[in-house]
Amino acid sequence: MLGILALTVALSLGPAVAWAQDRAAEAAQIFASTCGFCHQDGGRAAGRGPKLAGTDRPDDYLLNRIRVGKEGAMPAFGRAFSEAQLRALVVYIRSLKDDAR
Amino acid sequence: MTTKRGALYLARLAMVVLVATACSMSSTSQGGGGGTGAMRTSMSEPAGAGNDWMTYHGSYQSWHYSPLTEINPDNIKRLQVAWVHHPGRSTRGLQSMPLVADGVLYYTGSYSRVWALDAATGKPIWSYFPKLNDDLVAAQTHSPYTRGIALGQGKVFVGTVDGRLIALDMKTGRPAWDTKLVNSEKLTVGFTGAPLFVKDKVIIGSQGGEWPGRGPIFGVDAASGRKVWEFLTVAGTEESKKTWGNDSWRTGGGGGWMAGGYDAESNTVWWGTGNPAPLYDWAGFEWKTTGPRPGDNLFTTAVIALDPDNGRLKFYHQELPHDAWDFDSAVGEFVMLERDGKKLVVHPNKGGHVFVYDRKDASIVNVWQLTKHINFVKSIDPKTGALIGRRDLPLGKHTNLCPAIAGGMSWNSGAYSPKTGLYYKIGQEWCMDLEVIKTTPVLEPQAQLDIGANFKLRNPEGDKAHGHLSARDPVTGAKKWEVMFPEPPLASLLATGGNLVFVPDPRGMLRAYDAQSGKEVWSHNNGIGHNGGIISFAAKGKQYIAVATGWGSLVGDEFGELFGEPYKSMPKDAGAIVVFTLE
Repeated sequence: MLGILALTVALSLGPAVAWAQDRAAEAAQIFASTCGFCHQDGGRAAGRGPKLAGTDRPDDYLLNRIRVGKEGAMPAFGRAFSEAQLRALVVYIRSLKDDAR
Repeated sequence: MTTKRGALYLARLAMVVLVATACSMSSTSQGGGGGTGAMRTSMSEPAGAGNDWMTYHGSYQSWHYSPLTEINPDNIKRLQVAWVHHPGRSTRGLQSMPLVADGVLYYTGSYSRVWALDAATGKPIWSYFPKLNDDLVAAQTHSPYTRGIALGQGKVFVGTVDGRLIALDMKTGRPAWDTKLVNSEKLTVGFTGAPLFVKDKVIIGSQGGEWPGRGPIFGVDAASGRKVWEFLTVAGTEESKKTWGNDSWRTGGGGGWMAGGYDAESNTVWWGTGNPAPLYDWAGFEWKTTGPRPGDNLFTTAVIALDPDNGRLKFYHQELPHDAWDFDSAVGEFVMLERDGKKLVVHPNKGGHVFVYDRKDASIVNVWQLTKHINFVKSIDPKTGALIGRRDLPLGKHTNLCPAIAGGMSWNSGAYSPKTGLYYKIGQEWCMDLEVIKTTPVLEPQAQLDIGANFKLRNPEGDKAHGHLSARDPVTGAKKWEVMFPEPPLASLLATGGNLVFVPDPRGMLRAYDAQSGKEVWSHNNGIGHNGGIISFAAKGKQYIAVATGWGSLVGDEFGELFGEPYKSMPKDAGAIVVFTLE
């Protein structure tokens, strides 16, 4: 399952293939450890936090939100994750299929 | 500590000793009518708090019961708002239980802001806003709410989300001491639960279920703020360390994040502990030998009995060995009562069962089921407490696990009325689908959770997610009456000597029921959901009801997606104390 995900992510990224392969599996793990508590079904559905699949927010917005959070709604993960992990999370979010669309 | 601060500290300590002495003198001269005299009797009397409400659970017996009778089903139509107080910055709503002593109401808002108000008028007497580590607060997942305070020795005790326990002078609000107990900067977690004042100690448990801490519970000297003892709920004894294979105690968990109860007769503090991390264990059926935390994982998801003088473990019962569902025992209610000459304690577990223990050794007297939709176990043996037919969750997808992660019960307390002999409790009916994922065990503290699955809440098969209030025999679970709610109420309950049960509901209605019949006799719209406390007290000869309003607890956060409006648009940054009396 994770392998397929990593492959899908890798193929869709072109030049960033090697990088994505390294990171995609890790991002899925991080998501299930930490992010899935609020973004349900691995980010495919809303929960405590919004649904992430199909989000129209730009990458920089997502990166910044994960880094600094939002008071009373989302914790800041800038200290918890490395820059590479943060970027991998954004790649993971972009890889989610939006069934509702 | 600088020399200047040291000198100041000593001066304050001297003041504290003076106040404490004055209080104990007043108890002698006034025969328990005021000062700490009232404090001592109010907390240990099984009948509850009398005019006051001196401790989180209303009394050491966790009854959430006021013996006051002025307000009753016959006159409750005249119950009106007496005053309202807005603390400001009510991020995630007001979740705290107010306390009342000698005509003064004390309560905490989010960010551990403490207020002292005239209990009859709401007029502010003093306030104290601790300076917190804002960067840390911003990184915390279970923050910045504070669920309550403790009173004793002329002081107000409050924990902070950045790991401190602070004592304030009851009269002035000035800090008497401020003790750092948890390295929250490293562990991410701090204190959100109320402390418990016992004899000369303040007892408080740290947050911690989804983090690699060891869930400590602390005993702190009330006079000086000195830490006297610390009990590690994760592998705190040699015996318990063996229940974490491959040194997996380092994944941690087990926080005792709600205030427990105290049995004065045997000098025993009863406390509940949180789940182990990660919540979901991909080892599935093989959990005894493999996976991220092989073994029973003591003392997580357990009730433990501690000696308040030295923090030593007297005995325990692990409600769910190797909890693989996040159905922890951190619920702080330890309802103490007697039946057929036996001294019992009743403790609800998040998974939806209620455990009844013999107070002498935590041996099982009975286990009964509060909620209908439970399939994480087939049953729990009512004679031994053993789990029958565990539904362990190996790697991969699982459907319709019941209850959902939010539990069959949450941390909000029920109430027990000695007049009706009934225990009033909210049950939550919901389930979830999940996919258990093999993650890297989090062994070193970092600002992140340790869950181990993706999940989605859902309706139970053939039913709709909902909640209920039921009135039951606390020992047998026999149901006398039940009221259904379209969504589970998330606030604590109050029973009174006036034959009433109050339910602050999630849509914003405060409802009162006849305690005998379950008939609704009164309601009032507070304009926002409730996920905090409710108490009753008397001031200047009148009975009052005080309730915390405000929405946004982590359980309540699920409501928008599951139930839609009014929750989707309900504010999560508002909340007030609303106080009622007969007009």
